[in-house]
Amino acid sequence: MRTNPTLATQLSAIVGAKHVLERPAETFVYTADGLPGYRRQPTLVVLPGTRDEVIAIVRLLASLGVPWVPRGAGTGLSGGALADGAVLLGLHRLRRIIHIDPENRIATVEPGVVNASLSRATAGHGLHYAPDPSSQAACTIGGNVAENAGGPHCLKYGVTLNHVVALTVVLPDGTVTTLGSSDGEAGGYDLVGTFVGSEGCFGVALDVTVRLTRNPEAVRTLLADFMSIDAAAQAVSAIVATGIVPAALEMMDRATIVAVEASIYAAGYPVDAAAVLLIEIDGLAVGMEPDVARIDAICRQHGARTVRVARDDVERARLWQGRKKAFGAMGRIAPHLIVQDAVVPRTKLPAVMADIGRIAAAHRVNVCNVFHAGDGNLHPNIAYNAGDADESARVHDAMRAIMKLCVDAGGSVTGEHGIGLDKLEYMPLIFSEDTLAAMCRLREVFDPERRANPGKVVPMRSCREWAGVPATRRQGDHA
Amino acid sequence: MPDERMGDATALMASSGRLAPPSVSVLADAVRTAHREATPLRIVGGGRWLDAAHPVQASRSLDLSGLSGIVEYVPGDLTLTANAGTTLAEIEEATAAHRQWLPFDAFGDPRGTLGATLATASAGPLGGSIGLPRDVTVGVTFVTGEGEIVRGGGRVVKNVAGFDLVRLTIGAWGTLGVIAEATVRLRARPEADETVALMLPTERDALATLLSTVRAASVEPLSAELLSPACAARCALGDRGVMLVRLAGNAIGVHHQRSTLAKLTACESVSAEVWSRLRQSDPADRAVVRVSRRPSELGRLWSSAMSIPGIDAHATLARGIVRLRLTSAERAALGAFDAEDRRVIESVPPAWRDAMSSSHTPSDPISRRLRDAFDPGRILNRGILGEEAS
Repeated sequence: MRTNPTLATQLSAIVGAKHVLERPAETFVYTADGLPGYRRQPTLVVLPGTRDEVIAIVRLLASLGVPWVPRGAGTGLSGGALADGAVLLGLHRLRRIIHIDPENRIATVEPGVVNASLSRATAGHGLHYAPDPSSQAACTIGGNVAENAGGPHCLKYGVTLNHVVALTVVLPDGTVTTLGSSDGEAGGYDLVGTFVGSEGCFGVALDVTVRLTRNPEAVRTLLADFMSIDAAAQAVSAIVATGIVPAALEMMDRATIVAVEASIYAAGYPVDAAAVLLIEIDGLAVGMEPDVARIDAICRQHGARTVRVARDDVERARLWQGRKKAFGAMGRIAPHLIVQDAVVPRTKLPAVMADIGRIAAAHRVNVCNVFHAGDGNLHPNIAYNAGDADESARVHDAMRAIMKLCVDAGGSVTGEHGIGLDKLEYMPLIFSEDTLAAMCRLREVFDPERRANPGKVVPMRSCREWAGVPATRRQGDHA
Repeated sequence: MPDERMGDATALMASSGRLAPPSVSVLADAVRTAHREATPLRIVGGGRWLDAAHPVQASRSLDLSGLSGIVEYVPGDLTLTANAGTTLAEIEEATAAHRQWLPFDAFGDPRGTLGATLATASAGPLGGSIGLPRDVTVGVTFVTGEGEIVRGGGRVVKNVAGFDLVRLTIGAWGTLGVIAEATVRLRARPEADETVALMLPTERDALATLLSTVRAASVEPLSAELLSPACAARCALGDRGVMLVRLAGNAIGVHHQRSTLAKLTACESVSAEVWSRLRQSDPADRAVVRVSRRPSELGRLWSSAMSIPGIDAHATLARGIVRLRLTSAERAALGAFDAEDRRVIESVPPAWRDAMSSSHTPSDPISRRLRDAFDPGRILNRGILGEEAS
């Protein structure tokens, strides 16, 4: 027996050698997540298959003082699951749906369960899991919890935070604890709310109990096209002011429409429109048509050329496919894509959209806007060639200008993608030093050694009390 | 927030001063000073704060009533930012002018403050659908136990920037920071908003059947609340047990939902006033205790409650919570519930405090470390969670 076994050997003893990846060819896929433009090399990748293996791994890494990064399906858009010289803990093998309780409309799942598969599994009970990120065919519930993921239908149904009722987590020190309650009021501090959206910095969820939502009796999907973005934005405000809460209220601009229509995801959007609104309402069947008629009328009053109501599920799915695959369609334009996620107050949408157009022109970049208009969550995306240094510089300058514009409008730098690595530099734009320091303290409550997903979410320099203290022992100390 | 239960605070004010900061920065100064001098503070909003059966051990009061008023209200954004001392009634009035509303209907006086509602995470019948403070609040400014001003969240309705300092303070009873200001999401008033009362069967199986039928029916209630005969009487609804169901949407949809319910059991329309009567009907001389389990257990919980003769109780269908308003003589009747049923004591008349203790004391390591991180001197509302008995 070796007296000083390598980390890989010790991890192999827990999960089996084939679930520990070390060779560059094996780890390559784990050097990036859903956001192109960043690559980070993990020390190694470990892929546990059971809850007990996760606990054993976290405890081993705690005993060795090794930093680690949890990862679901790697669809995140903020670089949050990148491991730079840390162990990457892949959780996608934990994909068991542990329990479905249709009467109480809850389900308990392992973190690697794919978002859409939970809705498929509960469909027989007339239930679904409401948060629907565009990556829902691949992304995991654990990843959704880490990012507090949203999606188009969060306008009516709320984001991940609003759907998680309890969690069992393993903290970075190896302690296993239950947060929240699915069987009566939890009492005490809202630790579920604190954990959701902590971007993998507070620990790993071993199981997640989520609320299920009754499938609506009826759904109507409308496509309205406008000759100006401003008119579309005004229509959005007018719809929301009626008291009707649309299930989703999405906007796509001409650049996005053109990209979608030129791709395999072509949805039949009018390519000469300045903007289209994709509006969905759902709920009880009786009472649906008056709301459809009202929204139709509002769109036309605000200058919509046409308002089309999907006739059936096939047409509805096609309209949505164009929206959900819009990022993919942009991939045809150029090899790289920068995705932003800023939020502005809804009343600022017309002015902000106009300014984004000016910024794009000034920097000679091609901005495609596809976003959740109902809650002011923008996704100005820029397709470009990172190999072109001049274009890259212009793209990054434009993105910084857009971010500053949204912050100045009273907004936030991320509505659903998270801070990760990508938006670290923007945190001081919206939070004071004292607030960032409070976030550091909150992280320390869960992870005093700051080994879980180090270097993400809060800029290190904000953590005053940590100044001069190394975040973690170096990997070389124990590998 | 129930009625005035300020016996301790009155005594406290007689013996020492009351700090009433007019601004967040003065508030922060006051807390910083108190931290330095290790002076425990009792945080007071409208003076109607629930005390969870645990008196605060403090020599000074921190009065937030001066930190009042709406800071920013943009109707088109459906968001409102207000100082902590702003009353829910004031917000109600300002938003009604734009046909909007803040769906907070916690029990107690409508002069209860926004800050207290968030700090106690209080919710009423709307908590079963759209009215939970944790789901409605998008930003909170608070002052930590060391006097730092922290702004969690923001003013936009969707935001995942940084760790969640908003949820951290909601329901923390002021022990992780003094809430100074908050931004909440509003809703546009629906076209139709009606309430119906369904007669509740007294027989246990019939009740369970009705509850599951209503849950499965083609209705989407904003609120569905069971009222015991004594509670119904307080709300001027006669002396039979009823289920109040609030339906909202367009006129056609609401009419259809009302017809659907009428097919299930005897059902009549009642005035929307019934909700404010229910909200303000907590008797001052009683203990208020919430008992809860998963919603499918509500039939059993309700039957247990109804086994107490003359009980004044109501229950939120979607949340599985029964709220009991107990007389001194009825306290022992809590034994009707299972030991596993969760109990939260909202308030207890001072005279009976020793006999009742709350179960919501956070004693796990994470909660203790949170307190250490945000109020290391334990000066904020010390004792309110049942901790640190002196």
